[in-house]
Amino acid sequence: MSGNNNILSVKNLNFSYGKKKILDNVSFNVGKEDFISILGPNGAGKSTLVNLISSVLKEYEGGIEVGGRNLKELNSKDIAKMIAVVPQYTNPGFSFTVAEMVMMGRNPYISRFGMERKEDFYATGKAMEKAKILPFANRKFSELSGGEKQRVIIAQALAQDSSILLLDEPTSHLDINFQIEFMNLFLNLNRKEKKTIIGIFHDINLAIQNSKKIMLLKEGRIFSFGSVEDIINRESIRSVFGSDVFVGRNPITRNLYVSPVFNPAADWSIAGSAVNKYLRVHVIGGGGAASPVINLLHSSGYRVSCGVINTLDTDLDTVRMLGIPYVNEAPFSPISIDSQNKNLRFIEYSDAVILPTVEFGPGNFSNLVSVNKAVGLGKKVIIIDEKSIRIRDHTGGKAEELYRRIIKDGAIVVKSVNQVLKHLQL
Amino acid sequence: MRTGARTFKYIFILLIILGLVVIVAASTGAAKISLKDTSLILASYIPGINHYIDTDLLEHQDIVIISQIRLPRILLSIFVGIALAGAGVIFQGLFRNPMADPFVIGVSAGAALGATVGLVFITGVGLLGISTTTIFALLGAMGTTFLVYNISRVRGKVSVITLLLSGIALSAMLSAITYFIMIFKTQDMAKIIFWVMGGFTSASWSNFVILAPVVTVLIIISGFFMRDLNIISLGDERAVQLGVQTDKVKKILLILASLTAAVAVSMSGIIGFVGLVTPHILRLLVGPDHKILYPTSVIAGGIVLLMSDTLARTVLMPREIPVGIITSIVGVPFFLYLLVKSKRQIF
Repeated sequence: MSGNNNILSVKNLNFSYGKKKILDNVSFNVGKEDFISILGPNGAGKSTLVNLISSVLKEYEGGIEVGGRNLKELNSKDIAKMIAVVPQYTNPGFSFTVAEMVMMGRNPYISRFGMERKEDFYATGKAMEKAKILPFANRKFSELSGGEKQRVIIAQALAQDSSILLLDEPTSHLDINFQIEFMNLFLNLNRKEKKTIIGIFHDINLAIQNSKKIMLLKEGRIFSFGSVEDIINRESIRSVFGSDVFVGRNPITRNLYVSPVFNPAADWSIAGSAVNKYLRVHVIGGGGAASPVINLLHSSGYRVSCGVINTLDTDLDTVRMLGIPYVNEAPFSPISIDSQNKNLRFIEYSDAVILPTVEFGPGNFSNLVSVNKAVGLGKKVIIIDEKSIRIRDHTGGKAEELYRRIIKDGAIVVKSVNQVLKHLQL
Repeated sequence: MRTGARTFKYIFILLIILGLVVIVAASTGAAKISLKDTSLILASYIPGINHYIDTDLLEHQDIVIISQIRLPRILLSIFVGIALAGAGVIFQGLFRNPMADPFVIGVSAGAALGATVGLVFITGVGLLGISTTTIFALLGAMGTTFLVYNISRVRGKVSVITLLLSGIALSAMLSAITYFIMIFKTQDMAKIIFWVMGGFTSASWSNFVILAPVVTVLIIISGFFMRDLNIISLGDERAVQLGVQTDKVKKILLILASLTAAVAVSMSGIIGFVGLVTPHILRLLVGPDHKILYPTSVIAGGIVLLMSDTLARTVLMPREIPVGIITSIVGVPFFLYLLVKSKRQIF
């Protein structure tokens, strides 16, 4: 990319509060039509970066160039003409009207000794139209709802007619409808008006669904910066945020999405212990009933496998996202002999078999037969019995009979997923 | 309606009210002078109109009373009112706090101590016809402002909270010193108390010719920063994002408003309520936009203080009541009435 294409260029930026270093040698370039999301945990330096670019903080080392000009050589009005900020919230000391608030965005264009001119009223009107606040232009800002107030602040920023829009968590205290509405507005401004957008978003998915580029910040440094596809993966999120996530694809948009892996095992002395890594646990799947226990075992460090599940089954999504080995069968088809044998192979290699609260019909009856064989092989079998087998049996009593025999032959019965770990340890 | 047109409309109305109050104030007093004669005498001082006024028909004594006694006092109270209301608007805006008044950072305590020192220890005629009391009050007020401002300045920035706290702390100390002096100079106690309560009994043209130009210049310069003051009330950071040189503007306004308050208080003593409540009343009437609020409050401040002073010198004639007592006793109930009636959120 040639230097002329960069509307914003940050070079070796360092910033400290007293002795604490907040930003450490940060360098990056922003192109004219970029839509960049800055992601990172609290304290990573995201807001500081925004405050430095918007010149709220001035005592930094390194260089910030906007439109090819050094930020330190520009006066505050010139900066405000090029960079507008949408903050998280604004609390005026007095109850100004909406129109008065938006007109404040024209401050960089109005001389100290002059009055608002025609073009200022025009720009204010346009900004209010885009933010859909024209109908309440004469209402008091203090009487508006949170979402309406934020629309006013967005209009205030738009009235600045800047080429760069800096978003500092503009939607994080708003309902989802406003989050979507504002994101669409920002996307439009980026695509149609060619505004450069750099934003901090509280919600990772909101950011990656809409951004062209992602910057991951960790402890004041840029961890990685590039296209969404290149930057967002399980490892990068874990490195930066220190939490385990699934990274999947939205079935409709094919965009990436990130979903946290919640660990229901509150008892960390069991979860994640080194011993677990060598224990293989096979889980019988079906209808999504296995997902909670698979998630629990996987996050606790067990080597989990699953089978037999039909393609299109919810449990299949779970094992695919977690990267767990599994046996699957064509959709809505009964389990074939071939699949059943593969499943038995997994069971043979396992140290324990878990039977979640699965519904049984003629199609998956053979899974129950496999569990019975596991008991015969002397495997530890744990049945999660959250719902009576009588209700779950759609085979006319056959499944119930076999289920009871499995219990009689020594399977452990627990009443909830949470009790599984306890029995695996013993 | 656009800001400019609205502002001019309000200013026009307020100036008419001010003119009427001046006529009434000039006609009332121990010597009764009719409204018509008063108007004629006042008009004879207005350039351009004075050619058409025939003062030969008027009592010479009335002309002297109005021109030498009442008019300097009227004009002095108007300009002190202007100064107090102007400083009040600026401090309330800067502090984003309805409790702020012109004396919030210790100007009054400093002026009181200065005046006490002047009254008790210094015997002299003063300078340019200005009494030593006034000169020392001004020095006290400005010295306090300077001290508080420098305490609150950290690395080129002024912390509003530190400003308030150090102002309160320093006021307490200066008041203590004032009381300490009063204990040892009991013979001057009445003089000191009477000065502190505020008033215009010693008003003269020589006071006015110093006060009026200074207040006019300070008030007009401050007026150019009202758009910034609006934006600063959104918070310092937001103001920077909107292109305001927040730190610089805050410093300028703090200094201008403190000087304005210091000059006023040194001429009149400590007159409460006007600087605190006039901006509130105007905010209820014209809204919070400082571009309108400031000029209207300034004129209203003049009206309020002139009315108060007229009551102060006429209610218990021939006795005078310190004007600070009038502003509080008459003004506060009126303000509370407005607050209850409007039930509008002003902050």
